[in-house]
Amino acid sequence: MKVRVDPERCQGHTLCSMIAPALFTLDDEDGHSTAIDGEVPADQESKAAEAIRSCPEQAISVIP
Amino acid sequence: MTTENDAERKKNRYHFDRHTPEYRHQFADVTAEMLDKCPVAWSDTYGGHWVAAGHGEVFELARSAEYLSNDHDPAHERRGYKGISIPTPDVGFRGGFLEMDPPEQRHYRQLLNPYLSPAAVARWTPLVDELVRASLNEKIESGRIDFVDDLANIVPAVLTLGMLGVPLVNWDIYVEPVHASVYTPPNSPDQARIMASRIAMRDDMMAQLAEIRANPRPGLIDALARAEINGTVPPDFELLGVISLLIGGGFDTTTALTSRSLEWLAEHPSERERLSRNRGTLLDSATEEFLRYFTPAPGDGRTVSADCVIAGQEFKEGERVWLSWAMSNRDPEVFPNPNEVELDRTGNRHHSFGLGIHRCIGSNVARMVFKRMVTAVLDRMPDYVCDPAGAEHYQTIGIIQGMKHLPATFTPGPRTGDGLDETIARMQVLVDEQRLAEPVTVRKGAATVK
Repeated sequence: MKVRVDPERCQGHTLCSMIAPALFTLDDEDGHSTAIDGEVPADQESKAAEAIRSCPEQAISVIP
Repeated sequence: MTTENDAERKKNRYHFDRHTPEYRHQFADVTAEMLDKCPVAWSDTYGGHWVAAGHGEVFELARSAEYLSNDHDPAHERRGYKGISIPTPDVGFRGGFLEMDPPEQRHYRQLLNPYLSPAAVARWTPLVDELVRASLNEKIESGRIDFVDDLANIVPAVLTLGMLGVPLVNWDIYVEPVHASVYTPPNSPDQARIMASRIAMRDDMMAQLAEIRANPRPGLIDALARAEINGTVPPDFELLGVISLLIGGGFDTTTALTSRSLEWLAEHPSERERLSRNRGTLLDSATEEFLRYFTPAPGDGRTVSADCVIAGQEFKEGERVWLSWAMSNRDPEVFPNPNEVELDRTGNRHHSFGLGIHRCIGSNVARMVFKRMVTAVLDRMPDYVCDPAGAEHYQTIGIIQGMKHLPATFTPGPRTGDGLDETIARMQVLVDEQRLAEPVTVRKGAATVK
C-alpha cells in the first residue's frame, strides 16, 4: 500500500507524524504533512491505518 | 411563506446557554441529549443562533469557510458580522486573524506560521525545561504548590512573551489580566481592578510595538510591525488585535489543559503511575485524550455568509452558528466511551484545536509546553495529592474550561539549580544572544542552555 496526504485538506494538525514519523514529514514552515514516496513497509501498515483514522481533517488516503 | 419555512428549518430546537453555571454542571447530560436528538439545533438564546454539537456536523461546518465567515466588523465597513464570540462582546475591536476571512487571514497565517510550526516550536524546548524546573524549584522544598498559580500560569506566559519578542520579565503585567478576564463574571466587584490591569497590559503592548518598530528585535511582533497584508500596511489597532489573540490563545488555554489534567491524574493514581512509567509510548496519546476530554477552548462562533445547506441543515445568510468543539468531542459515533478518559485511545480525531483554515496556530506550542510541565511534575512530585477544598474551577465553561486554583501537597524534594527570577533573567540573555525568536526560516537549531 501507499499513502497520500491531500494538501488541500491538510491543516497541519501533526497527528500523522506523531503516530507514524517514518511515513510523514512535516514542513518546517507551516507543519503541513507530506507522505513518503513509495510503498509503506509492512511493519508500518498498522501505523499508517491509525494515522488515517486519527487525522482531524480526514486528509490522508490509501492509494492502490 | 418565510415563517412556515423558518419553522420547518428550525424544528430542532434546544435552549442552549453555555454561559450559565448549570451548563457546566450538566455538560455531559446536555451533550448526550443534543448528540442524540438534535446534533444541529436552533437556540433562542443571545438573539437566536444555531448550535452544532455532532462530530460529523461540526466537521462539515468548520471546513466550509466559503459559507461560514469568521469576520468581525464592528465599524460596519463590510456586512457588520460579529466574529467568533456569542454573545458579541461590547468591546468594538477585531480579535486578530481569528476574526478575519481569507485572503487577509491567510496572509497573517503565512506570516506567522514560521514562528509557530513544529520545527519552530521545538527550538524552545530547552528554554521551557529551564522555566519549568525553576518554577518547581520555588515550591519543591515546601511540599506545597498551587499548580495554576505556581506553574501552569507562568510557563506558557513567559514562553509566549519570548516568542512575541517582549521582555520575559514583563510576564506578570500580562498573566493576571488574561487569566482573570476569562473567569471573572461581568458583574463582579473585582471588575475595576481587572480593567486597570487590562489597561496596563494594553499600554505595554503598544509600547512594545512602538519600540520594536524603532529598534527591531526578532519575534512575532517584529513580523507584524513589518507586515504588508494584501498589499497594505495594517493600522496599529489591527496589529494589537493580532497580538491580543496570540496572548489570549497562548496563555490561559494551556494553563487550563494542564490544571485539569493534573487534577485528573491525582484522582486516578494508578493511571498516573502508568503514564509516568510508559511515557515514551503513552504521552502523545494521553495528551490528545486530555485535549479531547477537557477541550480547553470549547467552541467558536461563525456567521453564515450565504444561504446554504450543510450537514443536511438549511442556513440563511446572516445567521449565527456556534461550533461546539467540546460537545463534538463527546460524540459516541467517533469516540467509544466518550465520557471516559482513555490514555491510549486511538483514532482520536478530536476538535480541540478547531478544524479547517482556522486550526489553532499555537497547537504545537500547547502540546510541547503541556508535555514538559506534566512530565516534570511526574518526575519531581510523583506522589502529589490535590486538595479538593482548595481546587477551584471556573464557574462557567463558556469561554475557557479552566481552573483558578489547584493546590496540592507532595513529599518535599531538593532544589535543582536556580530559582524563577534568576532563570528568567538567564533565559532573556539566551533569547537575545541566540536570536531564538527569529522565524525558523532564518534560525533553525534548538536553544543551547549553558
